[in-house]
Amino acid sequence: MYEFQLIQSTGFRNHGPEGARDGVEIRLRLPNYRGMRLSLLDGIDVTLDGEFFSHEVTSLIVGGRMYDLAAMRDATTVRWAMGEHASVFVPKPGGLLPGIHHVKVAARVRSPYFPPHLQPLPVHAERLATIVLP
Amino acid sequence: MEDRFKYGVSLYSFTEDFGSVMSIEEGFDHIADTGATGIEILGETHVTGYPTPDKAWLDRWFGLLDRTGLEPTNMCSWVDTKLRLGQSLSVDEGAAELVRDLTLAHQLGFKFLRPKFGVISADLVPDPIWAPAVERVLDLAHKLDIVICPEIHSPTPINHPVVHGYIDFIERTGTKNFALLIDTGIFQDRPLKSWVHEVPEGDSDHAKLINGMKVNPEELVGIAPYIAFIQAKFHHIDDNLHDENIPWEKVIPVLKRIGYTGYLSSEYEGVREPWVAIDQVRRQHVLLRRLEAACDAVPA
Repeated sequence: MYEFQLIQSTGFRNHGPEGARDGVEIRLRLPNYRGMRLSLLDGIDVTLDGEFFSHEVTSLIVGGRMYDLAAMRDATTVRWAMGEHASVFVPKPGGLLPGIHHVKVAARVRSPYFPPHLQPLPVHAERLATIVLP
Repeated sequence: MEDRFKYGVSLYSFTEDFGSVMSIEEGFDHIADTGATGIEILGETHVTGYPTPDKAWLDRWFGLLDRTGLEPTNMCSWVDTKLRLGQSLSVDEGAAELVRDLTLAHQLGFKFLRPKFGVISADLVPDPIWAPAVERVLDLAHKLDIVICPEIHSPTPINHPVVHGYIDFIERTGTKNFALLIDTGIFQDRPLKSWVHEVPEGDSDHAKLINGMKVNPEELVGIAPYIAFIQAKFHHIDDNLHDENIPWEKVIPVLKRIGYTGYLSSEYEGVREPWVAIDQVRRQHVLLRRLEAACDAVPA
């Protein structure tokens, strides 16, 4: 089961080896009411404590693999299924200090059945979330 | 009685609950307790392991159908014509998407499949591959005894080239396996009070969504032979059992008059919070049953 909000509490953590963190992971629930193939997700914009990271530099970790924007656009046979967690990888050398951080995301979902001018349509969420370990 | 509506619920109604505060078992129980006989699902949402669920999930599915006595009605699917940026699906690929979902729908016991085709314009004109793609799978649909039914959904009214195109297709092919699904949101005639949809401000489609298209329910008469399924879309029924947006008192008598005896499948799409839809659906079932009983009480 997911936590109700898009940005999950659990799974918000630093990424990479301890002492040599290369970024931050933000776990999300599926930003859609149906499972979707990754090529329908045109990346995810992230803002951490006011610092903006474009969907062109973030990646998605799903099913144990990491997809940058180009790989996402090519992933026409990989599904992010309903009920499955995925994490956004934000490249930020050193990561974040333990404590409470302001996290904002915009998941750029392409829904082919929406009018062309509404694609992609960003799914927005923001909240305070907690990093436990350095 | 044979000339009565059948009552169902779409699990889509519980979108804000499903997966965080509601499992599929609980969804079945909420639906069964309304007295409904049918369950509608979204394949890509409610089938774990879509499009090829494992044996354990299938056992669970059939166990739930047995336990609740519900029958599978309609499975919603998508033909993602814009799966790739800048390159639409070919007819072959579109047909393959339909085969994938017809196969799963049949495996799960569904009789209707609603594909949502990608569109090419603001008024939701479907990608032209829809017709040749559907035509290629009509034999399979016939073999599996499934009716493929695209939905007539706001902002597309009944009298629209898209609908005419679907009807022309039915007439040209003579098929019994392609028909129309009506989403009752097209009859919405009063503004939504509380729904914040993820559409940019000031967009004209947004205005249609918020204020309603006000299609006259009498227009159902002209397309009566082509209607296979009805998604009873609604947004809010107040504490006095009054629907704030959909004029059911005008819709139900027309459906009775045209002799519709298919499903009314609840599709709650109101305020996006958990724990709201369960009772809203119950209210709708009381309201619809009352209106039907009132029609039935009047001698023809």
